[in-house]
Amino acid sequence: MMLQSDVVQFMAVGGGQAHNSNKEEGFSEATEQQEEMRRRQSEEGNPFTFSPQLLRLHRDHELFEDGDVLRHMYLQDLFISEAEEQPAPSVSEFACHISGCRVVFSTLDEYEHHYNSLHRHVCCSCRRSLPSARLLDIHIQEWHDSLFTILAQKQDMYLCLVEGCGEKFRTSQERKDHLIRVHKYPPDFRFDKNRKEKGTRETRREQRTDTAMEAADDVCRSEGVCEVMCSVQSNQLEQEDSMEAHASSEEAARIEDFSASAQTSEAGTEALKLKYTYRVPKTVCFGQGSVRGFRGQRGRRK
Amino acid sequence: MWRLNKVRHKAGGHANTLEELRLRRREKERALRQARRDRQLVSKRLLLNEDEEQDQMEITPGEQDVVSLFHTLQHSGTDKEAYLRTLSKALRNPSAQLTFIKLENSMHLLVGLLTSSDARCRLQAVRCLHELSHSPHTSMASACLPATPYLLTYLSGQSTKFTELCLYTLGNICPDSEVVKERLLAQGIIPALASCIQNQRHNLAVVEAAGFTLFQLLQTKDAVQKVIPMVLASSLPSQLLSVLTPDPEFGLAPAIECAWCLHSLTSSTVDHRELLAQGALTQCSSLLVSLGGAVVDGNTDQGVELLVCPLLRCVGNLLSSCPVEALSSQLADVHLVAALCELVFAFLHTFPALARETAWVLNNLTAHSTELCSALLTFNLAPRLMELLPFSQGINTMVLRVLANVAHKKKEFCFRLAELGLLSALAATLKMANQDMVTLSLEVLFMMIVSSPQIAEQFVRQGNSGTFPVTRSNTRTFNIK
Repeated sequence: MMLQSDVVQFMAVGGGQAHNSNKEEGFSEATEQQEEMRRRQSEEGNPFTFSPQLLRLHRDHELFEDGDVLRHMYLQDLFISEAEEQPAPSVSEFACHISGCRVVFSTLDEYEHHYNSLHRHVCCSCRRSLPSARLLDIHIQEWHDSLFTILAQKQDMYLCLVEGCGEKFRTSQERKDHLIRVHKYPPDFRFDKNRKEKGTRETRREQRTDTAMEAADDVCRSEGVCEVMCSVQSNQLEQEDSMEAHASSEEAARIEDFSASAQTSEAGTEALKLKYTYRVPKTVCFGQGSVRGFRGQRGRRK
Repeated sequence: MWRLNKVRHKAGGHANTLEELRLRRREKERALRQARRDRQLVSKRLLLNEDEEQDQMEITPGEQDVVSLFHTLQHSGTDKEAYLRTLSKALRNPSAQLTFIKLENSMHLLVGLLTSSDARCRLQAVRCLHELSHSPHTSMASACLPATPYLLTYLSGQSTKFTELCLYTLGNICPDSEVVKERLLAQGIIPALASCIQNQRHNLAVVEAAGFTLFQLLQTKDAVQKVIPMVLASSLPSQLLSVLTPDPEFGLAPAIECAWCLHSLTSSTVDHRELLAQGALTQCSSLLVSLGGAVVDGNTDQGVELLVCPLLRCVGNLLSSCPVEALSSQLADVHLVAALCELVFAFLHTFPALARETAWVLNNLTAHSTELCSALLTFNLAPRLMELLPFSQGINTMVLRVLANVAHKKKEFCFRLAELGLLSALAATLKMANQDMVTLSLEVLFMMIVSSPQIAEQFVRQGNSGTFPVTRSNTRTFNIK
């Protein structure tokens, strides 16, 4: 469906393009024709509206500002051709696009590390982020699967967290002991918190400045693997501590900003709406991070 | 003729250190930006005497001198030239300027001397007027009105220095006052400029000065309604175009002025048929091709950016009026695509704003022309363009638009782009902070995926699904089955 539309866009005079706060794109609204096209397409359910456009720039357009300044510096005998005086081109930042996460990165690698660490294996019932697919699976099973709960009363269901070990235990405490004794895990291993430790979690939460992620209190009904952070942002804060000193103040400011503004209902409800739309297979995921889980979990909030 | 200031150390005299100079420049730049935002961006030029160095403008305190000089001139019979010379130096001082014009009959005196039978007196008189025209006080412009018919008349003269001074004087005063501009238009400044350029075509200094004056005229308020139609009706457009020659002997400065005039014309008007008919697109684009080549080879004079910039803008805006069928006849050389691509890189670290403007022109070139999109692929420019995708401030969004233009044309192009690695480039751009980049990336991705199932597979196989986050704005759109 290659659309052929011959639209010429007239640029508004000057930089009056309201909805772009940065200097990047300041082009004015499309012509009627294009508006019409957009309307039609949104009716048909297709939001992709791109069509090649000739862009005419008026003399006073902000895109021309730098060149004009150059010209007048020349007229006033202040022009310097050497590169040292000119601003270097800036590189685009990357930003985490997960709803509610506003961290920005200067390199793709940083972004991917962030994403992989915090958003990749997210339980869609309680939005907890697990460090690996395996731990996520275990979490979902132990926390959100009623069948598991039932079976666990009669058999050893709690799987050892160490891959390859394969041992199973009747209770999560037994598993924890096993982890400590045999695998020399620390007693406070973050990815094996008891689900019932609500109290601890609450105090922990109070300590954090974020309240964005209202991870369900009532989701946890059975014992099991309880993983780390309730929220993306808390994660970030914790990580910040361990990160090198050069973590930019900008980033910190953004995080603070975020915690201040995080409670917008918009963010909250929209995030909720999106979570439960799909049951997606493991390999392909276009939800919030790689969110997996069951539909209609009990203990779902709201 | 204008020489470009290089950063240099002063031997003595006004020993501005390098740092002071830089500071001054930065302040000036800030002031210019603000002036532009206020739509008050106007500059004047001062033609220095032969014995003066460009950056050693001396401002001698000479208020009292001015009065006494004036009286002397009124009464002395001989040796007026010497006094005039002194007066012109004294008139460099802004307060002296004010003092002078307040003196009764001062302008009358100057005009008289301007028309004197002594040619040297004429020269010095016009020099005095020139100093006045360069004044920061806008009242100076109206004060100079009595001289304008003479200045215009002298444009058809043959002496270079004199004509230059007349031209720069006129150029300095016309943006300052509506009254002055109206008067000049009525007195025939446009035909005068046209014949001046025509007759002095061989004289670079005069052509440059005339170009500057026309540029100033085009910056005046209401230029669109009052000035531009007259200019387009005259022979000036073709004159301006004829100056745009890549002839290295001709020198950059006149071409720079004429190109900026053309930019003022193309960016203020919507109807470019006249200019297109006169071959403006052809001329500007072929000059861009040769300049582009020279820039890339590092084979240019300093300040070539000052010429490339207005040329880019002319081409960009002319393209927006040129019907796609006429494109191949208007564009002499399809290599323009390659030249522009290289220019983006050449400017990327030196003048990023120009890199962005170049990318804009590329967008206009590729928007509706399958032929040019095909050329882009043939010249193997797509991978080059993809290298630009990390650079912000409008560069990457514009470049992505260009790639989108290509993808939009044909399935085969999508396939080719996929082969060249566009999908992995998109995987990165989708994660950028800039919302426009993300939206545009989605659009391009959509076009690519829809064009062929293999591309869709390739995208999935690339493992992008795992790290493909979804923004709030696009979740509703993403529903790949």
